Amino acid sequence: MNEDLLKVLSDQLDCKSSNSKIINLEPLTGGASKEIWKFEIQSELERGKYILRRGSGIEGPLAIKTSEEAAIQKNVKKMGALVPEIISVSTKDKPLGDGYVMKYVEGESIARKILRDEKYKNALKSLAFECGESIAKIHKANINEFSFLPRKSVFEQLEDLYQTYLSFNQPSPVFEYTFLWLKNQNFGELKDSLVHGDFRLGNIIVSEKGLASIIDWELAHIGNPLQDLGWMCGNSWRFGNTEKVVGGFGDLEDLLRGYNSVSDFQVSHEIVKTWQVFGTFRWGVICLIQAAAHLNGSVNSVEKAAIGRRVSETELDIVDLLFLGGK
Amino acid sequence: MIFDKPTHIDLLDAVSYFLKEKIQGEVPPHLAFKLRIVENVLNIVKREIIDGEILSEEIYEDLRKLLDSDSASINDLAELISNGHIDLENDDLKRLLVKLSINKMKIDNPNYSTLKKLVE
Repeated sequence: MNEDLLKVLSDQLDCKSSNSKIINLEPLTGGASKEIWKFEIQSELERGKYILRRGSGIEGPLAIKTSEEAAIQKNVKKMGALVPEIISVSTKDKPLGDGYVMKYVEGESIARKILRDEKYKNALKSLAFECGESIAKIHKANINEFSFLPRKSVFEQLEDLYQTYLSFNQPSPVFEYTFLWLKNQNFGELKDSLVHGDFRLGNIIVSEKGLASIIDWELAHIGNPLQDLGWMCGNSWRFGNTEKVVGGFGDLEDLLRGYNSVSDFQVSHEIVKTWQVFGTFRWGVICLIQAAAHLNGSVNSVEKAAIGRRVSETELDIVDLLFLGGK
Repeated sequence: MIFDKPTHIDLLDAVSYFLKEKIQGEVPPHLAFKLRIVENVLNIVKREIIDGEILSEEIYEDLRKLLDSDSASINDLAELISNGHIDLENDDLKRLLVKLSINKMKIDNPNYSTLKKLVE
């Protein structure tokens, strides 16, 4: 398989005419639905590190095309957002399939390493503020440039999530309660923005100096920008450090200070909590979607099977937020 | 049961030990990551065999009281909430939703941060 990939990747990057070659091609641990490969391009003059990200053909219903992720990153890079430099984009009809090649960014994306390793201790102190700034920059992008992205209000998204949950025929009293609760909340009347959709540890690269890059744009869409803030604060993305609301490393005050320093509007603590409940419900439904791909036989994956038993984490987090004073 | 020892639990333990102690260190990183998921799955199965019935029965008992019915199910409760046939401010309902979530988590992931926080 690696030999085949090596060939189509070399063709995609036109290695023959530039007299260069691909070396050290190796798979990295990616998300549940994407392939990630690390490799180097060796030419007479230089040697550089790159990442290939491509769709596995089993993306969930919420995911955009991998090549569209590349288009977004190219656009927001122009505005100074921290994203990797894209060097080549492939589409579904090409031998490489739906994917793109980007320059490798030095740093770490694995959440537990970022939270645990001594060398990131200093970077973590200002990371919540930097994340806030970066999210606000993304939200300032001109949405007219992203006509290919789905555009949905929070209540349309909520209805979609609920219908998706219903389609799996696994009734959850907690999700039923949550759906009714969310339908009656105020999510803030804000201008539609580019929403990353999955901004959290695991999808950002952190170096010893701080936030280095924002990756994994597969859940990007146009909608209420506050979704990204609530998502980032969900307990699912604190990796056990439950007392640190922002990603298991930072405080909400710092995230909002960073956000409000760039944004045209000011965000309060209270509204983030409502979005946190929404985000937790959304993650629960995404877990159901992932597990269903295994259960309906479209893919045999122990990883996807296991994620079905993480739905209960979101139910527990929601009852904690709604009834037990959870933060 | 008519089956000999090792019991199903003994067998699961033997497989878990083999994967963790003999295989984990021998596979490349991207498979080591998946192997940890496999070990977690085996542990879910083991916990469910040991405690699944008692944790479920605790919930059914509360459910029968709340809905005043001998045959109340999780599906019934979900439907009552969805149809607006139960008051969302009912404290017994809230308590039951909390207990249901806690009992599920005791099987799925007893180390989950929110569970630890709530039961300690």
